[in-house]
Amino acid sequence: MDLLALLLPLAQEETEEGSSGLEILLPPTNELIAGIIAFAVVFFFVWRWAVPAINRSLEQRQAAIAGQIEEAEKAKTEAESLRSDYRAQLDQAKTEANRIIDEARGTADQMRADIVAKAEQEGEQIREKAREEAAAEKSRALAEARSQVGEISVDLAEKIVGEALDAEAHQNLIDRYLADLERL
Amino acid sequence: MAADHISGYASGLFALARAEGVLDRVEDELFSVAQAVERSGELRSTLTDPELPVDKKQAVMDELIGGRASSLTVGMVQLIVGQGKADDLPEIVRAMLEMAASFRNRALAEVRSAVPLDDETVKRLTSALEKATGKKVEVKMVVDPSLIGGILARVGDTVIDGSIARRVQSVRQTVNSR
Repeated sequence: MDLLALLLPLAQEETEEGSSGLEILLPPTNELIAGIIAFAVVFFFVWRWAVPAINRSLEQRQAAIAGQIEEAEKAKTEAESLRSDYRAQLDQAKTEANRIIDEARGTADQMRADIVAKAEQEGEQIREKAREEAAAEKSRALAEARSQVGEISVDLAEKIVGEALDAEAHQNLIDRYLADLERL
Repeated sequence: MAADHISGYASGLFALARAEGVLDRVEDELFSVAQAVERSGELRSTLTDPELPVDKKQAVMDELIGGRASSLTVGMVQLIVGQGKADDLPEIVRAMLEMAASFRNRALAEVRSAVPLDDETVKRLTSALEKATGKKVEVKMVVDPSLIGGILARVGDTVIDGSIARRVQSVRQTVNSR
Protein backbone atom coordinates (compact mmCIF):
# COMPACT_ATOMS: atom_id res chain seq x y z
CA MET A 1 0.00 0.00 0.00
CA ASP A 2 2.76 2.48 0.91
CA LEU A 3 4.63 1.82 -2.42
CA LEU A 4 1.53 2.52 -4.57
CA ALA A 5 1.02 5.75 -2.80
CA LEU A 6 4.58 6.77 -3.57
CA LEU A 7 4.48 5.98 -7.44
CA LEU A 8 1.19 7.66 -8.18
CA PRO A 9 2.27 11.35 -7.87
CA LEU A 10 5.24 10.61 -10.21
CA ALA A 11 2.87 9.36 -12.94
CA GLN A 12 0.89 12.50 -12.71
CA GLU A 13 3.98 14.82 -13.22
CA GLU A 14 5.01 12.95 -16.46
CA THR A 15 1.60 13.53 -18.02
CA GLU A 16 1.74 17.35 -17.43
CA GLU A 17 5.14 17.81 -19.24
CA GLY A 18 4.21 15.86 -22.49
CA SER A 19 3.25 18.93 -24.56
CA SER A 20 6.90 20.37 -24.90
CA GLY A 21 8.94 17.15 -25.43
CA LEU A 22 10.48 18.00 -28.90
CA GLU A 23 11.83 21.17 -27.50
CA ILE A 24 13.49 19.23 -24.84
CA LEU A 25 14.89 16.85 -27.38
CA LEU A 26 16.24 19.43 -29.89
CA PRO A 27 19.01 21.80 -28.86
CA PRO A 28 18.59 25.50 -29.35
CA THR A 29 19.43 26.76 -32.87
CA ASN A 30 22.50 28.71 -31.94
CA GLU A 31 23.86 25.74 -30.14
CA LEU A 32 23.05 23.64 -33.15
CA ILE A 33 24.92 25.99 -35.53
CA ALA A 34 27.86 26.21 -33.20
CA GLY A 35 27.86 22.45 -32.92
CA ILE A 36 27.74 22.05 -36.70
CA ILE A 37 30.62 24.47 -37.12
CA ALA A 38 32.58 22.74 -34.43
CA PHE A 39 31.86 19.43 -35.98
CA ALA A 40 32.98 20.75 -39.38
CA VAL A 41 36.17 22.08 -37.91
CA VAL A 42 36.85 18.86 -36.16
CA PHE A 43 35.92 16.91 -39.32
CA PHE A 44 38.21 19.09 -41.38
CA PHE A 45 41.11 18.52 -39.07
CA VAL A 46 40.45 14.83 -38.92
CA TRP A 47 40.02 14.55 -42.71
CA ARG A 48 42.97 16.76 -43.41
CA TRP A 49 45.63 15.36 -41.00
CA ALA A 50 44.37 12.52 -38.91
CA VAL A 51 43.01 10.35 -41.70
CA PRO A 52 46.16 10.64 -43.88
CA ALA A 53 48.28 10.00 -40.84
CA ILE A 54 46.17 6.99 -39.96
CA ASN A 55 46.33 5.88 -43.60
CA ARG A 56 50.07 6.30 -43.70
CA SER A 57 50.39 4.38 -40.50
CA LEU A 58 48.15 1.65 -41.87
CA GLU A 59 50.08 1.58 -45.12
CA GLN A 60 53.35 1.40 -43.22
CA ARG A 61 52.05 -1.41 -41.11
CA GLN A 62 50.68 -3.13 -44.21
CA ALA A 63 54.04 -2.73 -45.91
CA ALA A 64 55.81 -3.97 -42.80
CA ILE A 65 53.51 -6.97 -42.61
CA ALA A 66 53.98 -7.61 -46.33
CA GLY A 67 57.74 -7.38 -45.82
CA GLN A 68 57.56 -9.75 -42.93
CA ILE A 69 55.43 -12.13 -44.98
CA GLU A 70 57.91 -11.84 -47.82
CA GLU A 71 60.80 -12.51 -45.41
CA ALA A 72 58.92 -15.43 -43.97
CA GLU A 73 58.32 -16.73 -47.48
CA LYS A 74 61.98 -16.22 -48.25
CA ALA A 75 63.02 -17.97 -45.03
CA LYS A 76 60.63 -20.74 -45.82
CA THR A 77 62.10 -21.05 -49.32
CA GLU A 78 65.60 -21.06 -47.89
CA ALA A 79 64.57 -23.63 -45.34
CA GLU A 80 63.06 -25.73 -48.12
CA SER A 81 66.24 -25.35 -50.10
CA LEU A 82 68.41 -26.24 -47.08
CA ARG A 83 66.20 -29.21 -46.32
CA SER A 84 66.50 -30.28 -49.91
CA ASP A 85 70.27 -29.85 -49.71
CA TYR A 86 70.43 -31.76 -46.45
CA ARG A 87 68.32 -34.53 -47.91
CA ALA A 88 70.55 -34.66 -50.95
CA GLN A 89 73.65 -34.72 -48.73
CA LEU A 90 72.06 -37.37 -46.55
CA ASP A 91 71.25 -39.44 -49.61
CA GLN A 92 74.80 -38.93 -50.84
CA ALA A 93 76.17 -39.88 -47.44
CA LYS A 94 74.00 -42.98 -47.37
CA THR A 95 75.14 -43.88 -50.86
CA GLU A 96 78.77 -43.28 -49.86
CA ALA A 97 78.32 -45.30 -46.69
CA ASN A 98 76.78 -48.15 -48.68
CA ARG A 99 79.62 -47.94 -51.16
CA ILE A 100 82.20 -48.03 -48.35
CA ILE A 101 80.44 -50.94 -46.70
CA ASP A 102 80.31 -52.80 -50.01
CA GLU A 103 83.94 -52.00 -50.63
CA ALA A 104 84.91 -53.09 -47.12
CA ARG A 105 82.89 -56.27 -47.57
CA GLY A 106 84.64 -56.89 -50.85
CA THR A 107 88.04 -56.22 -49.31
CA ALA A 108 87.22 -58.47 -46.39
CA ASP A 109 86.12 -61.22 -48.76
CA GLN A 110 89.32 -60.81 -50.75
CA MET A 111 91.41 -60.83 -47.58
CA ARG A 112 89.63 -63.91 -46.32
CA ALA A 113 90.20 -65.62 -49.64
CA ASP A 114 93.87 -64.56 -49.60
CA ILE A 115 94.35 -65.79 -46.03
CA VAL A 116 92.72 -69.10 -46.81
CA ALA A 117 94.80 -69.47 -49.97
CA LYS A 118 97.99 -68.55 -48.11
CA ALA A 119 97.17 -70.94 -45.28
CA GLU A 120 96.53 -73.71 -47.78
CA GLN A 121 99.79 -72.90 -49.55
CA GLU A 122 101.74 -72.88 -46.28
CA GLY A 123 100.09 -76.10 -45.25
CA GLU A 124 101.08 -77.67 -48.53
CA GLN A 125 104.65 -76.36 -48.10
CA ILE A 126 104.82 -77.79 -44.57
CA ARG A 127 103.52 -81.12 -45.82
CA GLU A 128 105.98 -81.07 -48.70
CA LYS A 129 108.86 -80.19 -46.36
CA ALA A 130 107.81 -82.93 -43.96
CA ARG A 131 107.71 -85.38 -46.87
CA GLU A 132 111.15 -84.24 -48.03
CA GLU A 133 112.57 -84.46 -44.50
CA ALA A 134 111.07 -87.90 -44.02
CA ALA A 135 112.53 -89.01 -47.36
CA ALA A 136 115.91 -87.46 -46.47
CA GLU A 137 115.83 -89.09 -43.03
CA LYS A 138 114.95 -92.42 -44.59
CA SER A 139 117.71 -92.00 -47.14
CA ARG A 140 120.16 -91.00 -44.41
CA ALA A 141 119.15 -93.95 -42.23
CA LEU A 142 119.50 -96.30 -45.20
CA ALA A 143 122.90 -94.86 -46.08
CA GLU A 144 124.02 -95.13 -42.47
CA ALA A 145 122.76 -98.69 -42.23
CA ARG A 146 124.47 -99.52 -45.52
CA SER A 147 127.68 -97.91 -44.32
CA GLN A 148 127.55 -99.78 -41.02
CA VAL A 149 126.88 -103.05 -42.82
CA GLY A 150 129.79 -102.27 -45.15
CA GLU A 151 132.09 -101.40 -42.24
CA ILE A 152 131.13 -104.56 -40.38
CA SER A 153 131.60 -106.63 -43.52
CA VAL A 154 135.03 -105.13 -44.16
CA ASP A 155 136.03 -105.60 -40.50
CA LEU A 156 134.91 -109.20 -40.67
CA ALA A 157 136.72 -109.74 -43.96
CA GLU A 158 139.87 -108.15 -42.50
CA LYS A 159 139.70 -110.39 -39.47
CA ILE A 160 138.99 -113.51 -41.52
CA VAL A 161 141.81 -112.72 -43.96
CA GLY A 162 144.22 -112.02 -41.10
CA GLU A 163 143.37 -115.30 -39.42
CA ALA A 164 143.43 -117.23 -42.66
CA LEU A 165 146.94 -116.08 -43.60
CA ASP A 166 149.38 -118.87 -42.71
CA ALA A 167 153.12 -118.84 -43.32
CA GLU A 168 152.71 -120.08 -46.87
CA ALA A 169 150.14 -117.40 -47.68
CA HIS A 170 152.44 -114.72 -46.24
CA GLN A 171 155.33 -116.03 -48.31
CA ASN A 172 153.11 -116.01 -51.42
CA LEU A 173 152.18 -112.39 -50.76
CA ILE A 174 155.88 -111.46 -50.32
CA ASP A 175 156.86 -113.33 -53.50
CA ARG A 176 154.12 -111.64 -55.48
CA TYR A 177 155.22 -108.24 -54.12
CA LEU A 178 158.83 -108.91 -55.08
CA ALA A 179 157.79 -110.12 -58.55
CA ASP A 180 155.71 -106.98 -59.09
CA LEU A 181 158.58 -104.81 -57.80
CA GLU A 182 161.07 -106.53 -60.11
CA ARG A 183 158.81 -105.84 -63.05
CA LEU A 184 158.78 -102.07 -62.39
CA MET B 1 158.74 -74.46 -39.97
CA ALA B 2 157.96 -78.04 -38.87
CA ALA B 3 160.24 -79.43 -41.54
CA ASP B 4 162.90 -76.91 -40.49
CA HIS B 5 163.00 -77.96 -36.88
CA ILE B 6 162.89 -81.68 -37.79
CA SER B 7 165.73 -81.14 -40.23
CA GLY B 8 167.64 -79.13 -37.61
CA TYR B 9 167.36 -81.81 -34.94
CA ALA B 10 168.22 -84.52 -37.49
CA SER B 11 171.34 -82.62 -38.58
CA GLY B 12 172.43 -82.24 -34.99
CA LEU B 13 171.97 -85.93 -34.22
CA PHE B 14 173.78 -86.95 -37.40
CA ALA B 15 176.70 -84.62 -36.72
CA LEU B 16 177.05 -85.80 -33.13
CA ALA B 17 176.92 -89.51 -34.00
CA ARG B 18 179.36 -89.01 -36.81
CA ALA B 19 181.73 -86.99 -34.62
CA GLU B 20 181.65 -89.72 -31.99
CA GLY B 21 182.22 -92.38 -34.63
CA VAL B 22 179.19 -94.39 -33.61
CA LEU B 23 176.92 -93.53 -36.49
CA ASP B 24 175.82 -97.08 -37.33
CA ARG B 25 175.00 -97.99 -33.76
CA VAL B 26 173.19 -94.74 -33.04
CA GLU B 27 171.21 -95.16 -36.24
CA ASP B 28 170.05 -98.64 -35.23
CA GLU B 29 169.22 -97.60 -31.68
CA LEU B 30 167.37 -94.45 -32.70
CA PHE B 31 165.46 -96.44 -35.32
CA SER B 32 164.37 -98.93 -32.62
CA VAL B 33 163.29 -96.12 -30.29
CA ALA B 34 161.40 -94.38 -33.09
CA GLN B 35 159.61 -97.65 -33.93
CA ALA B 36 158.66 -98.13 -30.28
CA VAL B 37 157.24 -94.60 -30.06
CA GLU B 38 155.43 -94.94 -33.38
CA ARG B 39 153.84 -98.28 -32.62
CA SER B 40 152.98 -97.82 -28.97
CA GLY B 41 150.03 -95.44 -28.59
CA GLU B 42 150.39 -95.54 -24.81
CA LEU B 43 154.05 -94.53 -24.92
CA ARG B 44 153.31 -91.78 -27.45
CA SER B 45 150.42 -90.34 -25.43
CA THR B 46 152.58 -90.42 -22.27
CA LEU B 47 155.41 -88.54 -23.99
CA THR B 48 153.08 -85.95 -25.51
CA ASP B 49 150.85 -85.46 -22.43
CA PRO B 50 151.01 -81.69 -21.72
CA GLU B 51 150.04 -82.29 -18.08
CA LEU B 52 152.97 -84.62 -17.42
CA PRO B 53 156.23 -82.87 -16.33
CA VAL B 54 159.23 -83.24 -18.62
CA ASP B 55 161.32 -85.02 -15.98
CA LYS B 56 158.62 -87.73 -15.68
CA LYS B 57 158.70 -88.24 -19.44
CA GLN B 58 162.49 -88.44 -19.39
CA ALA B 59 162.25 -90.94 -16.55
CA VAL B 60 159.94 -93.11 -18.67
CA MET B 61 162.40 -93.02 -21.60
CA ASP B 62 165.32 -93.69 -19.26
CA GLU B 63 163.54 -96.77 -17.95
CA LEU B 64 162.84 -97.91 -21.51
CA ILE B 65 166.32 -97.53 -23.05
CA GLY B 66 168.59 -96.51 -20.17
CA GLY B 67 170.59 -99.71 -19.76
CA ARG B 68 170.30 -100.94 -23.34
CA ALA B 69 171.24 -98.08 -25.64
CA SER B 70 174.45 -96.09 -25.83
CA SER B 71 174.73 -93.02 -23.65
CA LEU B 72 174.80 -90.85 -26.78
CA THR B 73 171.51 -92.28 -28.02
CA VAL B 74 169.93 -91.92 -24.59
CA GLY B 75 171.19 -88.33 -24.38
CA MET B 76 169.78 -87.51 -27.82
CA VAL B 77 166.39 -88.99 -27.00
CA GLN B 78 166.26 -87.22 -23.65
CA LEU B 79 167.14 -83.94 -25.38
CA ILE B 80 164.27 -84.35 -27.84
CA VAL B 81 161.81 -85.38 -25.10
CA GLY B 82 163.08 -82.57 -22.85
CA GLN B 83 162.37 -80.02 -25.57
CA GLY B 84 158.75 -81.27 -25.85
CA LYS B 85 159.37 -82.71 -29.31
CA ALA B 86 158.65 -86.37 -28.48
CA ASP B 87 155.79 -86.41 -30.97
CA ASP B 88 158.27 -85.59 -33.74
CA LEU B 89 160.79 -88.22 -32.68
CA PRO B 90 159.95 -90.72 -35.48
CA GLU B 91 160.17 -87.98 -38.12
CA ILE B 92 163.44 -86.64 -36.70
CA VAL B 93 164.98 -90.12 -36.65
CA ARG B 94 163.79 -90.83 -40.20
CA ALA B 95 165.32 -87.57 -41.40
CA MET B 96 168.55 -88.38 -39.58
CA LEU B 97 168.67 -91.88 -41.15
CA GLU B 98 168.08 -90.37 -44.59
CA MET B 99 170.97 -87.94 -43.98
CA ALA B 100 173.24 -90.81 -42.91
CA ALA B 101 172.26 -92.88 -45.94
CA SER B 102 172.78 -89.89 -48.19
CA PHE B 103 176.18 -89.37 -46.60
CA ARG B 104 177.02 -92.89 -47.78
CA ASN B 105 175.57 -92.08 -51.22
CA ARG B 106 172.59 -94.25 -50.61
CA ALA B 107 168.84 -93.81 -50.15
CA LEU B 108 166.99 -94.96 -47.05
CA ALA B 109 164.37 -97.65 -47.75
CA GLU B 110 162.01 -98.26 -44.86
CA VAL B 111 160.41 -101.62 -45.41
CA ARG B 112 157.51 -102.86 -43.36
CA SER B 113 156.37 -106.42 -43.42
CA ALA B 114 153.60 -108.26 -41.59
CA VAL B 115 156.00 -111.10 -40.80
CA PRO B 116 159.81 -111.18 -40.41
CA LEU B 117 161.73 -111.62 -43.67
CA ASP B 118 164.69 -113.96 -44.08
CA ASP B 119 168.05 -112.63 -45.30
CA GLU B 120 167.55 -113.97 -48.79
CA THR B 121 164.24 -112.18 -49.17
CA VAL B 122 165.73 -108.93 -47.83
CA LYS B 123 168.60 -109.21 -50.32
CA ARG B 124 166.15 -109.80 -53.18
CA LEU B 125 164.00 -106.93 -51.96
CA THR B 126 167.00 -104.60 -51.77
CA SER B 127 168.08 -105.28 -55.33
CA ALA B 128 164.47 -104.96 -56.57
CA LEU B 129 164.13 -101.59 -54.81
CA GLU B 130 167.46 -100.41 -56.24
CA LYS B 131 166.32 -101.42 -59.68
CA ALA B 132 162.91 -99.77 -59.23
CA THR B 133 164.27 -96.50 -57.83
CA GLY B 134 167.56 -96.38 -59.68
CA LYS B 135 169.40 -95.70 -56.39
CA LYS B 136 171.55 -97.66 -54.00
CA VAL B 137 169.40 -98.24 -50.95
CA GLU B 138 169.85 -99.08 -47.30
CA VAL B 139 166.96 -101.16 -46.05
CA LYS B 140 165.58 -100.66 -42.56
CA MET B 141 163.19 -103.48 -41.74
CA VAL B 142 160.16 -103.09 -39.51
CA VAL B 143 157.81 -105.95 -38.60
CA ASP B 144 154.35 -104.41 -38.57
CA PRO B 145 151.46 -106.82 -37.95
CA SER B 146 148.98 -104.02 -38.72
CA LEU B 147 149.75 -104.63 -42.41
CA ILE B 148 147.96 -108.05 -41.98
CA GLY B 149 150.00 -109.43 -44.89
CA GLY B 150 152.40 -108.32 -47.62
CA ILE B 151 155.05 -105.56 -47.67
CA LEU B 152 155.15 -101.76 -47.72
CA ALA B 153 158.34 -100.02 -48.84
CA ARG B 154 159.07 -96.30 -48.65
CA VAL B 155 162.08 -94.74 -50.38
CA GLY B 156 162.08 -90.97 -49.92
CA ASP B 157 158.66 -89.81 -51.04
CA THR B 158 157.97 -93.00 -53.02
CA VAL B 159 155.70 -95.55 -51.35
CA ILE B 160 155.22 -99.03 -52.82
CA ASP B 161 152.37 -100.62 -50.89
CA GLY B 162 151.59 -104.31 -51.42
CA SER B 163 149.95 -104.88 -48.06
CA ILE B 164 146.62 -106.51 -47.28
CA ALA B 165 145.87 -103.50 -45.03
CA ARG B 166 146.01 -101.23 -48.08
CA ARG B 167 143.63 -103.49 -50.01
CA VAL B 168 141.25 -103.63 -47.04
CA GLN B 169 141.42 -99.84 -46.83
CA SER B 170 140.65 -99.61 -50.53
CA VAL B 171 137.62 -101.89 -50.11
CA ARG B 172 136.52 -99.85 -47.10
CA GLN B 173 136.69 -96.62 -49.11
CA THR B 174 134.73 -98.21 -51.95
CA VAL B 175 132.03 -99.40 -49.52
CA ASN B 176 131.83 -96.02 -47.79
CA SER B 177 131.66 -94.06 -51.02
CA ARG B 178 128.51 -95.88 -52.16
